[in-house]
Amino acid sequence: MPAAILATELSKTYDVKVRDPGIKGALVALARPRYRPVRAVDSVTFAIERGDAVAFLGPNGAGKTTTLKMLTGLLFPSSGCAQVAGYDPWTGGNAFRQRIAFVLGNKQQLLWDLPPEETFRLNRAIYGVSAADYTARRAELVELLVLGDLVDKPARQLSLGERMKCELAAALLHQPEVLFLDEPTLGLDLEAQQTIRSFLGEYRQRHDATVLLTSHYMADVTALASRVLIINRGRLLYDGELSELVARIAPIKRIELVLSELVPRARLENYGRVAHFAPPSATIEVPRETATAASARLLADLAVADLSIQDPPIEEVIRIAFGEGAQDGEGNAEAEALVRADVRRAPP
Amino acid sequence: MTSIRRTATVLRAFWQLNWLEELQYRGNFIASLLGTVFWLLMAILTAALYFRHTSRLGGWEFWDVVVLLGIFNALAGVVEAVLRPGIGHLPADVRSGALDLVLVRPVDAQFYVSFRRLDVWRFADVVLGLALAGYAFVQTGRPIGAWELITFVVTFAVAIAVVYAIWVALMSLAFWFVAVENMAALFDALFEAARNPVSAYPGALRFLFVYLIPIAWTTTIPASALTGRLRPALALWALAVGIAAIGASRLLWRVALTRYTSAGG
Amino acid sequence: MTSGTTRSAVAVFRDQYAELMRSAFLIDLQYRASIAIWLIWGVTEPIISLGIWWSIAAAGAVDGFTREAFAQYFFGVALVNQATLSWDAWNIDRWIREGEMNYRLTRPIAPIHEAIADNVAYKGPTATIILSAWIIAAAFWPAVRIPFEPAHWALAIVAIVLAAAIRFLNGYATGLLAFWTTRATALVELQFGISLFLSGRIAPLSLLPPRVAEVAGYLWFPYVLSFPVQVLTGTITTTAQYVRGFAGQVIWLAIWLMLYLLVWSRGRRHYGAVGG
Repeated sequence: MPAAILATELSKTYDVKVRDPGIKGALVALARPRYRPVRAVDSVTFAIERGDAVAFLGPNGAGKTTTLKMLTGLLFPSSGCAQVAGYDPWTGGNAFRQRIAFVLGNKQQLLWDLPPEETFRLNRAIYGVSAADYTARRAELVELLVLGDLVDKPARQLSLGERMKCELAAALLHQPEVLFLDEPTLGLDLEAQQTIRSFLGEYRQRHDATVLLTSHYMADVTALASRVLIINRGRLLYDGELSELVARIAPIKRIELVLSELVPRARLENYGRVAHFAPPSATIEVPRETATAASARLLADLAVADLSIQDPPIEEVIRIAFGEGAQDGEGNAEAEALVRADVRRAPP
Repeated sequence: MTSIRRTATVLRAFWQLNWLEELQYRGNFIASLLGTVFWLLMAILTAALYFRHTSRLGGWEFWDVVVLLGIFNALAGVVEAVLRPGIGHLPADVRSGALDLVLVRPVDAQFYVSFRRLDVWRFADVVLGLALAGYAFVQTGRPIGAWELITFVVTFAVAIAVVYAIWVALMSLAFWFVAVENMAALFDALFEAARNPVSAYPGALRFLFVYLIPIAWTTTIPASALTGRLRPALALWALAVGIAAIGASRLLWRVALTRYTSAGG
Repeated sequence: MTSGTTRSAVAVFRDQYAELMRSAFLIDLQYRASIAIWLIWGVTEPIISLGIWWSIAAAGAVDGFTREAFAQYFFGVALVNQATLSWDAWNIDRWIREGEMNYRLTRPIAPIHEAIADNVAYKGPTATIILSAWIIAAAFWPAVRIPFEPAHWALAIVAIVLAAAIRFLNGYATGLLAFWTTRATALVELQFGISLFLSGRIAPLSLLPPRVAEVAGYLWFPYVLSFPVQVLTGTITTTAQYVRGFAGQVIWLAIWLMLYLLVWSRGRRHYGAVGG
């Protein structure tokens, strides 16, 4: 069986307009625009089998969204090629679009002034879903996402989490083979995050759907994906099992402390690596298996006002795994922001 | 009055920030200036078209009408520079609840809401409009006297007061009809009628524009003043209308605000 | 995966339009108060023009136009204008700027169909309101009564639909320039300014200087307003005039359709290259 998603040497280069500051710079740019190529995605190769769930990780502006846009046919690659559900996304046309769904966490397609039910009806027609299929799928989605009577309230009256759940239902009525999710849980409350995670897991198993998602939340990744792709500055840095990655970064936990007395940094170093020290709070990294014991000792030895044990954030995981350079996505973030704002307006 | 003085101080600080912000959008300035010149040209051509088929429009000659068009453009500039970005935002503020944040401040709310934001580049429209009015006035060949100049300045100020009062009236409706988002479009539609001297309209429309929707006082009266056709009695009437407009806007604002606070926002 | 019954492409397409129009209509219903204001806005311009020409014609007919002829003409302008409005450029501009174009491009239906359904859902009811207002006005004011002959009205409807299609494609294709520039809507406004004269909005074309009227004849402007208004008010009489008018409409419809297809495919490609 061919892979559901196949990316081969996928690259995307944008020409970013370069402009000196000031009025003079603006005039010069107007008369003789200069461009600087920016590699947003650089020779990315991977394959995802049907039914797999893969998380796409990386700092802001690393090239995740650009890759998703190439895989959904919004952008065409500067070089390399992609195949999704057996189609070239750029030339696949409506037959391709019938087989995918693209959900953007920060952009909604629900009709703002109408109840989600109306968006469902519209999507049923747009994707040519038969009446029988529609009834069955709608019932299933309403049940799995616990939508209840949310579908009858105008979308503008729903909370962010409620809207996202309805958004997912609307995007899945045509039962896509491949599901692309860009930050599906961004900014949602914990309960909604939880519902969406368990829904996606259940849905994927029931329908053998392939899922590629990007997220900032480690919990999304651990709950949904066994495999992760890590991208930074447009380059694929890691492709493999999540557990392997955890092993590779030396499995650590972060103990976040708030102390009620002044304790010198040196004393904290007895318990683990002090990652962050700003009295009265401090963060100590310890091996995963000794986290509980270390916490107990901290509580016994010091005057602790507050203590919590955390997974390292994704940025931290990447930093630890790939060294300091990997964390610095800023140059790239700036480039992608520029690309979004400016390049489209550049003359062809 | 101290509250107004304090508001003025606050507003001055706002305008300084505003100015720095607007400097970022110099490109828009060129575009908006080109747009203004284009629409002025269309308006003059429209008048020229009328004058192909008549020698006088409601008793006005061609260049008199162009004087009026210049004044129309200057007033439209005031609307775009001050009223639309300021009080034009009131309905949105009522809907979003942002008005609450204004009401808790120790400032005069009406004054503050009306003048908090300026679209400074559009003041160029005022300059352009007055320049056109001046040029057209020279073309009329009329002599300029102190009386014409003084009554023009006074009636132009009255015109601004009337336009302001119309905006306050329309925007205050937002307190009652929260769902209506495009009240400004209603002004745009009505103000179109001010492109022609009010005497050029048939009786029923003339009555409407003088008494019910008082746009006659916005362009026709200042243009009459400049072209020496304003009778002293009417000049006094204009002054009265201007004062009444300011008073009415103040009163209306109070009533609307009572409605707002009693409805719990 | 999918059900056994496959529906014909035509049935799916009809279904898509029905639902697109339904949701557009339901949204319009939510904004009915705002729409009432847009309607007032739409009729003031022809009423103002009528007011001026009515006064000018006080001394007698202007180049053959009596007061009654002006009244009928500008009522026609108000109705045809409502049926042929074009606002899509502003939507396209916003969708591209705010990234809402993206999900529209991943659906198995070209965005233009959503726009067409939206236009039909809006213009049908609002043009009916203008027509009703006209009929009520005609009951009290004989000047605006126009002859009622079914065949002639049928031709007027065809002319209005063709005019709406031309102006829609004109506005949509111009709006798609937003793929390249932030000033696409300014180009739409520019055309609108020119159309004030060349389409007969502020005066019947025969009152323009002959040279200008001649230039207008080579462009699409007269076919989107002046011609349908003339058909409606019965001022077109000879078969030759009808043939010339409808032929002009069909030709300009074809031209703007081709321009739309060209701009759409080029624009889509440009968007695919540089993103949104």
